[in-house]
Amino acid sequence: MTVLPFLVVAAVAGTGSLILRGSRGWSTTIAIVGLLAMTWVAISLSPDAAIDIGGTILAGSAWLRLYAILASVVALGLIAVDVSAFHEPDAPGVIVIAIGAAVLALASPNAGVAVLAATAGGLAGVLVAAPLGAAGRAAFVGARELRALAITGALAILATGWLARPPGELATQPAVFGLAYLAFGAAVAVRFGAIPFHLWAARVADAAPGVALPLLMAWLPAAFAAVALVWIDQSVAPMTLPLSSERALIAAIGTVSIVLGLVAALVQDDLEHVVGYSIVADAGVAVLGLAVLDPAGWEPARTWLLVFVVGRSAFAAWVLAIHGGFGTRRLPDLAGWARRAPVLAASLVAIAATSIAWPGLAAWQARSTLIDLAMPRPIAVLVMIAPIAAIAIYGRILLVGVGQPNAAVRAGRGERPRWPASLPRRPMAGVGGLERGFERASHALSGTLDVAWLVPTAIRTNRMPLAAVAVLLLSGLAFLVAGGGLGVREAARAVPQAAGSDTGPSGPGSTSGPGSTPGPGPSEEPSAAASPSPQASFAPVP
Amino acid sequence: MNVALAIVAGLAVAGAVLAVSARDVRATVLGVLIVLIAGPLVASPWPSPAAILARVAAGLLAARLLTIGLRGEEATAGTRIGWPAEALAAAAAAVVGFGSHGLGAAALGPAEAQAAGFALIALAISPLVTGRDVLRLGIGSLLLVSGALFIRVGLDHPPRDGEQLVISLLTISLGGAVGVIGAAARAAGGLAASSVAIGLPVPRLPDAHRDIRRDIGVEPISPKPPVGPKRPVAPKPPVAPKEPGVAREPPAGPRAPRARRTPRTPKPPSGDAS
Repeated sequence: MTVLPFLVVAAVAGTGSLILRGSRGWSTTIAIVGLLAMTWVAISLSPDAAIDIGGTILAGSAWLRLYAILASVVALGLIAVDVSAFHEPDAPGVIVIAIGAAVLALASPNAGVAVLAATAGGLAGVLVAAPLGAAGRAAFVGARELRALAITGALAILATGWLARPPGELATQPAVFGLAYLAFGAAVAVRFGAIPFHLWAARVADAAPGVALPLLMAWLPAAFAAVALVWIDQSVAPMTLPLSSERALIAAIGTVSIVLGLVAALVQDDLEHVVGYSIVADAGVAVLGLAVLDPAGWEPARTWLLVFVVGRSAFAAWVLAIHGGFGTRRLPDLAGWARRAPVLAASLVAIAATSIAWPGLAAWQARSTLIDLAMPRPIAVLVMIAPIAAIAIYGRILLVGVGQPNAAVRAGRGERPRWPASLPRRPMAGVGGLERGFERASHALSGTLDVAWLVPTAIRTNRMPLAAVAVLLLSGLAFLVAGGGLGVREAARAVPQAAGSDTGPSGPGSTSGPGSTPGPGPSEEPSAAASPSPQASFAPVP
Repeated sequence: MNVALAIVAGLAVAGAVLAVSARDVRATVLGVLIVLIAGPLVASPWPSPAAILARVAAGLLAARLLTIGLRGEEATAGTRIGWPAEALAAAAAAVVGFGSHGLGAAALGPAEAQAAGFALIALAISPLVTGRDVLRLGIGSLLLVSGALFIRVGLDHPPRDGEQLVISLLTISLGGAVGVIGAAARAAGGLAASSVAIGLPVPRLPDAHRDIRRDIGVEPISPKPPVGPKRPVAPKPPVAPKEPGVAREPPAGPRAPRARRTPRTPKPPSGDAS
């Protein structure tokens, strides 16, 4: 199956959900049904299938398939937690549309088309960052977000357009490649809110609903970064230019984000800010992936992108569940939360393990490889151990949780399952066997109806335990991905299919990994004179 | 140089100048609409009729979304330096774009597109950097992306139909995003209210034009920071009467017309005056 049905379902479900935004229940239901259908379609996607729409190829790949599956499943989990906590308007529809736009971007082998789709998907996020009826600050935050998206989109469009031609005379001007590479790298850093471009992202983290935070700060920028990786491997790396200054600058941005993002997350009291800055810190590793112009960086960079987005989504869902259950997300007001929410405590441990990781896990391997490839050895060692400091972040949250519960936590919902009302007792009145048999059947039917009538109330009463279970599943999924499960490494190793009839060097496509020949990344010989066209690194679509 | 292309590119730049200069919101939206409709036509060869239709429809829809978001709003901050200065800056940028066509190598698209792209980006910088008005920020963002698209057309092969469709989606998203932000800002007190909400200074009075807000029925910009977004005010505790007497009862039901005040009796001179 091609990617087209996925896009159609996303467009229909997302638009339908937003059209019915006045009725929150229907809007969410349509989004959930759409996401279920998208999950099914994503599972059925064929990595080899491609389709030509108006001269533009949309091609599948193993990584795209995994991204689509994970995005749909994680979105379902996030919406489930949100429904139990706040039930934000617009968020489900925007999530569905944005996932569709991200998949469209990843499916396009032409980087020029891909950046357009990725930018359009990011713009959908403005709807949740600046919702109607919000305070004036939200409108300002939305305007800042729009500005950041426009700048990143324009930089990426210019970079891809500049190098889209057959190199020809351009090949004699390394500065052109350096500038274009730097422009796209900076665009990705701004999209991630990497430090020092974090101001707009911090404000978005403050204003946007928690359920949309992973989408705005992780999933959509990750798709943008994946497009950048493909473009760099096609258009810049084959030139085998040193580009040391540009690489150093991008690596510096990534390093600063990793270190300062962790520090900022450690000192924050608002859990949503902790999520935001931990996303910035993990995004620093993704930015480092752009500084690696070596085929060896291809697989770890794409592995890390998946590990990062799923892990941070689980953390955001955890914060959402805590906020919904106890009515606050300020850490000092959450003393004793772990005693009343042990399932969420277990989830936080899984999330922490995913985030910090250890040697042997795919997450650790990917992160350390990228750091090693992007930086000189002494600095790389220091940066490699920096993420271990995240233990302090999660330890602080857990430490607060095991204390004596305060008033807010005691008044919160708690995880203990409850039944909203006692079921009526029906004494037997029949005398004969047949009579008692009929009566038993009648009582069984009545008892079933009693339970059925109470199910909606029971769901409302048990919102917190249900949210906790959803968060536990999400954190389990994050741990699975961090461990290399679901074929993450194999999917990351594969490269997108060919552009087919698409023109220009933007056309990727290969059936082999970057380490093999042909593959993306720098070739062995300087290619200024010898066919530097990135098309040479990928085989055409069959 | 293709004269027809140059005329269309000139129209696009004129629309952009109108969009960033005008204070009337309707004129601003008209300028944006001109830019968006001219977009697909500054190409050589022209896209297929279906692609042109899709782009024009997307431009109309984006403008419609902008209009919906800004319904009832009449004035925006406009430019501070006046439209002639904006037009000259755009013209200078267009000359640079035309002269540097290809940016280092032979280009595959028309020079007019690159010239228009440079002009649009030059016009977008001012609202993006100094704009406190959310509409101007939005217009700047829209022009920036449009300018980048123009330059791309000037450098690369003409976009195919599928890419035109994606550009149409991007156009609609941009219009919708600006409309949503405008609507949110208006709901919170006005297009410039956002800067007050986060403690930024209010917009500086324009240097190039007299303040026409009063002429069009809008409250002129006050040098004093306006009051922030209205919040429900807690009722004041009843003030104890200074002189012994019956405390006032809170009014019940609809408010009665206020009785004329009796002239206040002069205060007796205080004894501790020194």
